[in-house]
Amino acid sequence: MSPAEKCPKTEALSALVDDELGEPARAALDAHLAGCAICAPVLAEFRQLRDTFGGLPELASGVDFSLLVDHRIAAAGVPKPQPKRQQRRLRWWQVAPAALGGALSLSLGAYLGSALMLGSQLTAQPAALQMAAFTAIPPGALCPALQACKSMGR
Amino acid sequence: MLASDGPDDDWVRRAQAGDRKAFSELVRRHQTQVYRYLLRMLGSHEDALDLTQEAFIKAWQALPQWQPEAQFRTWLFRIANNTALDALRRRKLVEFVPLEDSFDAPDSGPDPERQVQASQEVRQLEASLTKLAPEHRQILLLREVEEMSYEEIGRVLALSDGTVKSRLARARAALIEIHGRRWP
Repeated sequence: MSPAEKCPKTEALSALVDDELGEPARAALDAHLAGCAICAPVLAEFRQLRDTFGGLPELASGVDFSLLVDHRIAAAGVPKPQPKRQQRRLRWWQVAPAALGGALSLSLGAYLGSALMLGSQLTAQPAALQMAAFTAIPPGALCPALQACKSMGR
Repeated sequence: MLASDGPDDDWVRRAQAGDRKAFSELVRRHQTQVYRYLLRMLGSHEDALDLTQEAFIKAWQALPQWQPEAQFRTWLFRIANNTALDALRRRKLVEFVPLEDSFDAPDSGPDPERQVQASQEVRQLEASLTKLAPEHRQILLLREVEEMSYEEIGRVLALSDGTVKSRLARARAALIEIHGRRWP
C-alpha cells in the first residue's frame, strides 16, 4: 500500500483546521501528518487560507438598519407577527354531553339491533307452527281425542 | 425592562408579541453581521443594503415560527442566506462585481513589506471569493468570517454535520485552486 492510499480524506484535514475533529481521529491524524509529505502541505494551505480570512477587513455599512427597518414596517403596514392559533383545549364538562349522547346512541342502536334480531328469530322459529296449518288438526281446532293432540305437542 | 445586553431570546419573545422596539434591538445586535454576510455574498454595497432590510422584514414576519430551541442568530442567518440566494437567482448573477476598493485591509504588523504582502493576499482572497460558487462561498463565510460551528452552519444551511464537513473541505480546495490561479 502506498503512502497516498493511507492518507485521510481532505475533509479530515479541513475539520482539523476547524478544530472539529474528535478523538481518537485527531490523534491518529496528527500522527499521520508528522510523517506525510502529501497531507502536510495541504494542511498548511488550509491554515494559510484561514489566516488570510482573518485579515479580511471589517465591513460596516455605516447605516442603522433598526431605524430603516422599523420605518419600513410602519410605513408599509407590515402586519404584526401573528401568533399561531393554538387549538382550544376543551374541558371535560364541555365534551361530556357529546360523549353521553354518543354513548346513548350506541346503546340504543345496540338495543334496537338486538331486538330486531330477536324478532326475526321469533318469526323464524315457528316455521313448524306455520306448517301445522296443513296438519290433520289445524291450530285452534278441537282435538278429537287427547292423544291426537298430545302427539302434536299441544 | 430588559437589559440591552441580555440574551436574544427575551427580546425575541417581546418582538413576537408585536413589540417593535424589541425587534429594533435585535436588528441593532445583528445588523453588522447580516450586512457583512450579504455584502460578501452579493459583492455589492447597494444590494447588501437593500437585502439586509429585506431579511429583517422577513424575520419580523416569520417571528411566530421562531422556536426557543433555535438560536436567534442562526435562525436569522438562515433567512438572510435564503434572501441572498433568492436575489442571486433573480438576477441570474454568475460572476459578481468585486468588492469596493474603499475597504482597506487592517494593519498586519510593523513590517511594511509584510504589511503590503498581507494586504495583497486579502485583496486576492476577496477577488477569489467572488469567483467561488455560491454554495461554497456561503459555507466559507459562515465558518471563517462568522465563526460558526459545524452545528450552527448545519442549522443555517439545513445540512447534516457530515455534509457541512465535506462541503467545507471542497469549498476550501476550490478557493485555493482559484486563489492559486490568480497568484503571481
